[in-house]
Amino acid sequence: MSVTAPPAPPVAPKPAAAASGPRFWNSTGVVRLRREGAIAPIAAFVVFFVVYVIINPELLTRFQLQTASNLVVPLALVALGQLIVVLVGGIDISIGAIMSLCNVVFATQLEHLPVPVAILLSVGVGLACGLFNGVLVAYAGLPAIAVTLASAFIFGSIAREVLDRPGGGVTKEIYLATSGELVPFVPVSLVWLAVIAVLLWLLLQRTALGRHIYGVGSNMESVRAAGINARLTKLLAFGLAGVVTSFGAMMLASSTVTGDPRSGDPYLLSSIAAVALAGAAFTGGKGSIIGTILAACTLGLIGNLLFFAGVNSYWQYVISALIIVAVVGIPVVWRRVAFFAKGARS
Amino acid sequence: MTTPGTSAPDTVGTPASTGPLGTAPGVDTSPAGIDRAEGVGGSAPESPRGSHASFLSRVPRSVWPLLAFLVLFGIGGIIRPNLITIDSLIGTATFAIILAIASFGQTIAVIQAGIDLSVPNTIGFSALAFLTLVGPLGPVGAFVAALAAGAVIGFFNGVVISKLGLTPIVTTIAMNGLLFGVILLAFNFSELTVTPDFVIAITSAKISVFGISMAAVLPLGLALMVVLQLVLSFTGWGRSLFVVGSAAETARLAGLPVDRIRITGYMLSGLLAAFAGIVIVGYYQQASATMGASYLLASVAAVVVGGASIFGGRGSVVGTVGGALVLGQVSTLVTVLNLGANIQQLIYGAIILIVISLYGRRRAA
Repeated sequence: MSVTAPPAPPVAPKPAAAASGPRFWNSTGVVRLRREGAIAPIAAFVVFFVVYVIINPELLTRFQLQTASNLVVPLALVALGQLIVVLVGGIDISIGAIMSLCNVVFATQLEHLPVPVAILLSVGVGLACGLFNGVLVAYAGLPAIAVTLASAFIFGSIAREVLDRPGGGVTKEIYLATSGELVPFVPVSLVWLAVIAVLLWLLLQRTALGRHIYGVGSNMESVRAAGINARLTKLLAFGLAGVVTSFGAMMLASSTVTGDPRSGDPYLLSSIAAVALAGAAFTGGKGSIIGTILAACTLGLIGNLLFFAGVNSYWQYVISALIIVAVVGIPVVWRRVAFFAKGARS
Repeated sequence: MTTPGTSAPDTVGTPASTGPLGTAPGVDTSPAGIDRAEGVGGSAPESPRGSHASFLSRVPRSVWPLLAFLVLFGIGGIIRPNLITIDSLIGTATFAIILAIASFGQTIAVIQAGIDLSVPNTIGFSALAFLTLVGPLGPVGAFVAALAAGAVIGFFNGVVISKLGLTPIVTTIAMNGLLFGVILLAFNFSELTVTPDFVIAITSAKISVFGISMAAVLPLGLALMVVLQLVLSFTGWGRSLFVVGSAAETARLAGLPVDRIRITGYMLSGLLAAFAGIVIVGYYQQASATMGASYLLASVAAVVVGGASIFGGRGSVVGTVGGALVLGQVSTLVTVLNLGANIQQLIYGAIILIVISLYGRRRAA
């Protein structure tokens, strides 16, 4: 989108946040969103949301908002995990399997362990899965798509070994704490999503590691030349993605009140679709958190919208695909048209 | 080094490597590009010093998965001597050839540095379209129409990828989703129960080849493999697919119509996936909306185990058949030893890891 803007990004080892005043706004505001490709998905979400509320004003009632957010929060979290891997120039085919595995670990451990321990175990499993991929990609130098293809088979089989059919010990209390009406006015799952997203945003935008993650994806050579440990950064990015995915898995287990060894499968393709819709570059280095969350919300709620509009909700698959191609493709076409227009003028 | 017992694939695999390129017009100006394209069929790109390494690197890559299959077959025989029979071989090969047919399209997509994640629902769409159209169009008309539908799907993939510049992964995922919607909206599943005899005759019907009884899909798949390998190895279009896959920019500078090659590549990929859909319907004699789902990862797995580079420019359909045979033999062994489907998936993952750690590093570094 911003071909003419300085290809500056983000390899500033020293946090530039020290600079105050206009520079601060410049680096946090619209400019950054534009640079990260998030304008189109945000606009798409706003349009989508307005249409949704016009068709179904009931969305803003407590119950419907809660149902809708329980539906999209797991997808949003998994998409954030996928985003982190995409930011370092990789892709995670195993993300659905990681999600299934964390989901069943969480659900089965709840049967006989206290809740915090089960949460820690699930997060630990997500971290371990991410690090497994990360070591093979960063240190063994293998292509991410092939490594995660292999680990998709491996993690998936372990998940079904842990729990071979839907079940587990997720309780009503956990449902209430993650997906119910714990806090006034807002569905609690949205609160959890916001907390995780803000922490992740701080990590990516305000710490050295986060800037390195963006840097490794946008220009591996410069990052190496700057003396940053690119391999370690990649490894940590995969690990972080695993952790975020495990949060998505636990939210899914809690909102459905079951552990299911195949629950993550549909999230493989939809997480990649959400990251694509968010305007992230699959070559790495470009992609925004807010764009990804809103893209996930758009994709996750299309089915609901069609239901309320009285359209056969199978259309959601067709419409999602068209939205992705349109939102990702229009800037490309626009750039090309602008290029030709410029050429014709001169 | 040639492996006895796999004579048919071998005779195809060897010329693929020893008789490279040569006739692809218009690319003579780019030695680097050609060099790498030559590596495609088999011989490694770097010039080895030791004669031993030189010999090994000259063995076409597609031989290794076939060799691995024979080793696994032998291991099976050591564990259970009654597994070394023609029937057992035919059984595994039949299972494998169906996976291979579903992976041929994926192979074409991967060779040109793409990937086709719309294979699952292209399979489902073509199968259901075929069954729906058999009534009005007759079996042959429906067959042609379903294949044409696959080519059209591939055409749209190719146009979006090469003209709009979207990533192949995203494009084909979007196409996969779109097709799923179309499948659910367009077809009336309750009516689609009768599989026409014509398809059964070319897939699940038992025929006798050299006195050995086998399902018709096996010779069909092997014949398709031979045809595709000849196209890939000895036609200008086939060679240009490798050039585009290994160095698209070089190919463009050398005057190759890169976009057109990409689009036709995806068309062939879609057409082959559609063919796989019809074959699967014929063999299993059932069709459903999600019938292709298991081929999403399995097709990529067969291609990778078959020695193709996930970055493009390297791969062969013979290798893909070898990869499918390896996966099929693992499945047979797991079933015989009663280890369960989970262990099978675990071994699939381990095999992919082994294969990519043997092959995958050269261009990743």
